[in-house]
Amino acid sequence: MSFGKDELIRYISNDLNIDTAPEGGTELFSSGILDSVAMVGLISFVEQQAGVRVQPGDVTLENFDTVDAILAYVQSLE
Amino acid sequence: MSKDFDRSMWSLMADNLPHRAGKIAAVDRGRSVTYAELAAEAGCIADWLGARGIRPGDRVIVHLRKGIDEVAAMFGAWKMGAVVVNVNIRWTPAQLAYVARDSRARAVILPRNVLDALTGENALPEGTAYLVQGKAEGLVQGADPWAAPAADRASAPDECDPRGLAMIIYTSGSTGAPKGVMLSHRNIRVGAISVAQYLKLDESDRLLSVLPYSFDAGLNQLTTMMLTGGTVVHQPLTMPAEIIRMAAAEAVTGIAGVPPLWNQIVRLLAGRPTALPALRRITNTGGKIPPNILELLPQVFPGADIYLMYGLTEAFRSTYLPPERFAAKMGSIGQQIPNARVFAIKHGEGIAGPGEQGELVHAGPLVSMGYWEKPEITTQKIRPCPELAHILGDEPVVWSGDLVRVDDDGDMWFVSRMDEMIKTLGFRLSPTEVEDAISQSGLVSDVVAFGVEDADLGQAVHAVVSYLPQGDETALAAHCARAMPHYMRPQRHHTWQGMMPRTASGKLDRPAIISAVKASLDN
Repeated sequence: MSFGKDELIRYISNDLNIDTAPEGGTELFSSGILDSVAMVGLISFVEQQAGVRVQPGDVTLENFDTVDAILAYVQSLE
Repeated sequence: MSKDFDRSMWSLMADNLPHRAGKIAAVDRGRSVTYAELAAEAGCIADWLGARGIRPGDRVIVHLRKGIDEVAAMFGAWKMGAVVVNVNIRWTPAQLAYVARDSRARAVILPRNVLDALTGENALPEGTAYLVQGKAEGLVQGADPWAAPAADRASAPDECDPRGLAMIIYTSGSTGAPKGVMLSHRNIRVGAISVAQYLKLDESDRLLSVLPYSFDAGLNQLTTMMLTGGTVVHQPLTMPAEIIRMAAAEAVTGIAGVPPLWNQIVRLLAGRPTALPALRRITNTGGKIPPNILELLPQVFPGADIYLMYGLTEAFRSTYLPPERFAAKMGSIGQQIPNARVFAIKHGEGIAGPGEQGELVHAGPLVSMGYWEKPEITTQKIRPCPELAHILGDEPVVWSGDLVRVDDDGDMWFVSRMDEMIKTLGFRLSPTEVEDAISQSGLVSDVVAFGVEDADLGQAVHAVVSYLPQGDETALAAHCARAMPHYMRPQRHHTWQGMMPRTASGKLDRPAIISAVKASLDN
């Protein structure tokens, strides 16, 4: 399993088809770059790559709106 | 609130200006506008459309993320008498280009990244006017930045015919290209009047808008709030935790959803109760909520009225179950809404009586103007009903294609899409019945049942499911053997990895799900 900032940014830019690669602090959902359909894919990517289980109540902007936030959230689970 | 049916869409909003100019009309995350400010923003857009040569009756596409700008763009187009075509922001550039060409749109209001994608085979005709949200530098010719319409000149609104075309809602059917359903100003206004009446909405209400404005039920949150002088609170994110957080923070008085969304919200709240003291009502439309989720609704939303509703785009909104009957009739879609006439028809026989099934048909002022430039399919879908000739004469009705059962009180229960009924072992089986029974196991989050041609059975029952963490095929098969009669049990359970695809309105995309499973069977 490899899960780090680079993998996450690569997944968001390639698999979710975003024109400009996001930076660590780019707002993904509140800005509208990604939508809820992308969220579903993102959650399963995070679960598989990081080997964690994301609880429904954890799917918030606070935990998922930026690459940095996602990394911090995953760390808090490990 | 004016009960007058024959007023324009612009009036629906502008009628608030004399006495509510300073009241908050709409709220985005971090921004809100009063009725006066909304009218001014819409006025700017109307002036811009006029300056770009758009005439009354021309089609204007609005393709924006849910929010105040989107609402201003729609009312701006209505102010100068144009026809609004709201294309869901989740649709692809190719779908947008299809709708733009099919409707022969003369102006498109859209975000910068979508405009940049309208090239090659998705390019629109030269001369199309664009108003663009986002980065202003380097725009192509014909495209104006959002800031271009500088000030509202407060020009007089177009005096349009309230019975004329106001909006085209494109629906992606199970087969073929999207079709545009034509709604008049009157259709939309009667829809707002009828729904505001039975949901008991007034100017103190603050409705949460999650469902898209390109979807008839979503549009109704906006139109009922404009009609009553209330406030619409926008939530463009469909993340359940964010929806509930916003509902609490903004003290919303109503939430409207579709079954997959209620599914997620109820699971969230069951594990983490959240008090929503301002909430007066929740409403469902767009399909049947699974029974195990329905039962939890009163528990997770204590004190809120629960409305189960049914509508189809071709007749806007059709039926609802009054909240007093929810406990006794969980799952029923009730009876006709005010101003609508809805019947269940047994083909060639008459009106379905208690205990009988029939096709739901809808007559009255909510019946749409039919499909945009498709007269043949319009006359198939909207035509007189011989079984009702003694009541309606030759007045056209919408034939829904939905089979409903009528109970002893005249309340209706959705059975199935007529073309999805499964014929197995001589039984006519409703996929909804199979899905309800499987949901009751508590092992799955989503389930779709369907028939597959079978030499011995006629059709075999198949089900595709997304398992919850506690579910697997062995446990589900054991549940089915225990809880379902033999003919109803799926011959095969297919596992769907991850979440099943949704339509842009948030409903399960049944045709896509079924065809994906059938394709895997053929291989």
